[in-house]
Amino acid sequence: MSAKSAEEEKREKELYDAIVDGDEELAVEASKALVEEFKRDPRDVLNNVMLPALRYVGELYEKGEYFIADMVISAEAFKKAMNEVILPLFRKNKESSARIVCVFGTVQGDIHDLGKNLAASIFTSEGFEVIDLGTDVPPEKFVEKVKETSAKVVGLSALMTTTMPNQKKVIDYLKESGLRNNVIIIAGGAPITEEWVNEIGADICGNDVFKALREVKALLGLEVLSQTAEEGEKVMVKSVKRGGDKDAAS
Amino acid sequence: MPLPEVSILTKEEKELIHSKALELLGEVGMRIRDPEIVKFLLDAGCKSKDEKRVIFPESLVEESLKTVPKKFTLYNREGEVVANLGEGTRIFAPGSAAIKILDFGAKEPRLPLLYDLKNLVILVDSLKNIEAQSTALVPDDVPNAIKDAVRLYVILKYSNKPIVTGAFTIENLTLMFEMMKAIREDYAEKPWAIFDVTISSPLTWSEITVRNLYDLSREGIPAEIISMPQMSATSPATIAGSLVLHHTEILSGITISQLINPGAPVIYGGSTAILQPNFALPLITAPESILLAWSYREMARYLGVPAHTYLGLSDNKVIDYQAGAQSMYSALAAVVGGFDIISGPGMMENELVQSLEKLVLDNEAAGMVKRVSQGYQMGEEQLAVDIIKKVAELDKHEFLSQKHTRKNIRKEFYFPDQNIWDVSSRDRWDGQDSLHRAHTMVEKILKEYEPHVLPSDKLEKLNSVYEKLWNKISEKPKYV
Ligand code: B12
Repeated sequence: MSAKSAEEEKREKELYDAIVDGDEELAVEASKALVEEFKRDPRDVLNNVMLPALRYVGELYEKGEYFIADMVISAEAFKKAMNEVILPLFRKNKESSARIVCVFGTVQGDIHDLGKNLAASIFTSEGFEVIDLGTDVPPEKFVEKVKETSAKVVGLSALMTTTMPNQKKVIDYLKESGLRNNVIIIAGGAPITEEWVNEIGADICGNDVFKALREVKALLGLEVLSQTAEEGEKVMVKSVKRGGDKDAAS
Repeated sequence: MPLPEVSILTKEEKELIHSKALELLGEVGMRIRDPEIVKFLLDAGCKSKDEKRVIFPESLVEESLKTVPKKFTLYNREGEVVANLGEGTRIFAPGSAAIKILDFGAKEPRLPLLYDLKNLVILVDSLKNIEAQSTALVPDDVPNAIKDAVRLYVILKYSNKPIVTGAFTIENLTLMFEMMKAIREDYAEKPWAIFDVTISSPLTWSEITVRNLYDLSREGIPAEIISMPQMSATSPATIAGSLVLHHTEILSGITISQLINPGAPVIYGGSTAILQPNFALPLITAPESILLAWSYREMARYLGVPAHTYLGLSDNKVIDYQAGAQSMYSALAAVVGGFDIISGPGMMENELVQSLEKLVLDNEAAGMVKRVSQGYQMGEEQLAVDIIKKVAELDKHEFLSQKHTRKNIRKEFYFPDQNIWDVSSRDRWDGQDSLHRAHTMVEKILKEYEPHVLPSDKLEKLNSVYEKLWNKISEKPKYV
């Protein structure tokens, strides 16, 4: 990498801090400056500045210095720079963002969405692209979206014992459509247990978003940002493992 | 002497909150996820904003506040008066709709079954400081589609007490009405069940709950409108901001109910919490949550409607010091707040887990805090100046020998159940802690107590509706 000017380094630091502090405007402005003025490759900005910033946010959370709200705000800043600066360039260069798509939603009959929203935010802040279908989502809608986006992760939130079986319904629909083996399925929500996950044939128990995140990443062969890691580049492993051989991925 | 009652907002502050709420209702309104009800509201004079939100003009809100009942009577199953809601009646009901039950001695809670619910109902029927039942457990061995309504059946069958309940679906509410009707034709005129309807903060009515509100109002059955802002997550992190939001949401509920049926009884409810910032759990017993509850209680008083809260419970996983402290301090907060209905006893772990032993312990806590909330009298008899003089003149050094004492001990002092709440000397102590004693009591009650089982003629009628409920899902009814 060629030597950076002081100005460029200042911008890098600005972007990094903007994400850590959750400053949306500045995140957009600084990322724009890096790709436009300094002609930085958007992937390089993502991997070497933005994702490390998120990793640091994760560390702060683990240490108890950051609260959930701080993480959510950082994720917002990240998302904004991503959507407004980085992704349009990827699209222009016909590159895929290499971001793994997750389809999240609260299952049919259930309107509790805070946990799902939080999970969406935290997955975003770990570099995933989360598509949120909202609440009271019929099973066919999940299937449609998975098809449309080639999602790799499906997150089904249910907070009530009466709506938990609708998680199974989605899984059944995915099976029928032949998509089951392409995705990792998280059954999320406070009442969800490992036994339930086994019973309905989901992959991951999402009664704690951080635990779920670690397990998803392990299945995908990705490292977790919030666990201290040396290298930023590795974070977005491009070779998302094909469905089916995900067991071999870890 | 006035009752010990917390009042923390000045008149100006109440007016300020009310006007901010009207401002929100008039500018951003509520998202209402049921097109038919949106249409109904627009026809009734509400406005539409961005096709998404329903704006409630101030005049409509104020009009509703004129028709909403300030008080209404709550009955028991037999049709006897239990209390006049709106007078700060302080009725305790078990925390409702737990997903799990914690057995005595167990570390992990388990899924509850129908017979657990029956036991809980019988236990609560016997506990005198928990004056109302609630559909407190969601039985795992009942098909999902009818879980909500089956819970009501068990209470109707085994207890005479009023009931705090709610539906999880749109359809089953009508069948729940039918169950009550099978017992008493005048179930709506003399209500003994209150139905919770919840608002999805911020500023959203889900299809299911707004439908429930609609159906309840139409029938004139009491709707307990519950806003549950989790501070910092579904409402601002500030108490004042959460109060504005809470009041706004409840006003929308009151207005909807009164537009449907002027005079329909409602309760200004709430389940306040902070979202615990590290672990993202609803912490109901946080101090801020109590301040918010007291504050919206004041707003209910300002509107002059009965009020409900979700306190007198614990967020902890085990029944220990922390659980006791959280339950007792929040129960005290609730009674001095002057709420009409207090949902909480038995509940643990962020509204997820019920415990029979804890119900017995919370029954004692409820008795004691209610004693606090009753205050005391200050007549000649109570001032006891004559007695003080007499003791002084006789040069006595105690009041124990006075008849006045003997009489007033019985009037003035509250006596917790000594089988649970140990106040004895070490010599007399049974060597057990209160949790063990509570367990012994649970076993004794379940073995010996005879609940108020519904008389057979009425039970027959109730069973026929119950059968219908199970037929809906083509199954044979499971009796308990
Ligand atoms: C807040 C709340 C509400 C709010 C919801 C507001 C909203 N916008 O979501 C309101 C007041 C609207 C509400 C409504 C109702 N509620 Co409610 N509610 C709760 C409460 C207290 C907390 C839920 C919550 O927000 N927790 C905080 C979040 C952050 O935690 P979480 O959702 O568990 O999420 C975490 C993990 O589970 C995970 N996660 C969750 N989803 C996902 C998804 C993915 C992909 C991943 C990776 C992770 C993940 O990540 C989060 C962080 O770790 C729970 C009790 C509880 N402790 O769960 C009752 C509870 C779930 N509700 C209950 C009931 C009964 C109802 C109503 C039916 C009441 C009524 N009669 O109106 C209605 C529901 C109507 C319907 N059909 O859906 C019962 C359920 C009973 C049962 N046996 O199933 C509970 C248990 C409370 C009780 N004891 O009464 N409720």
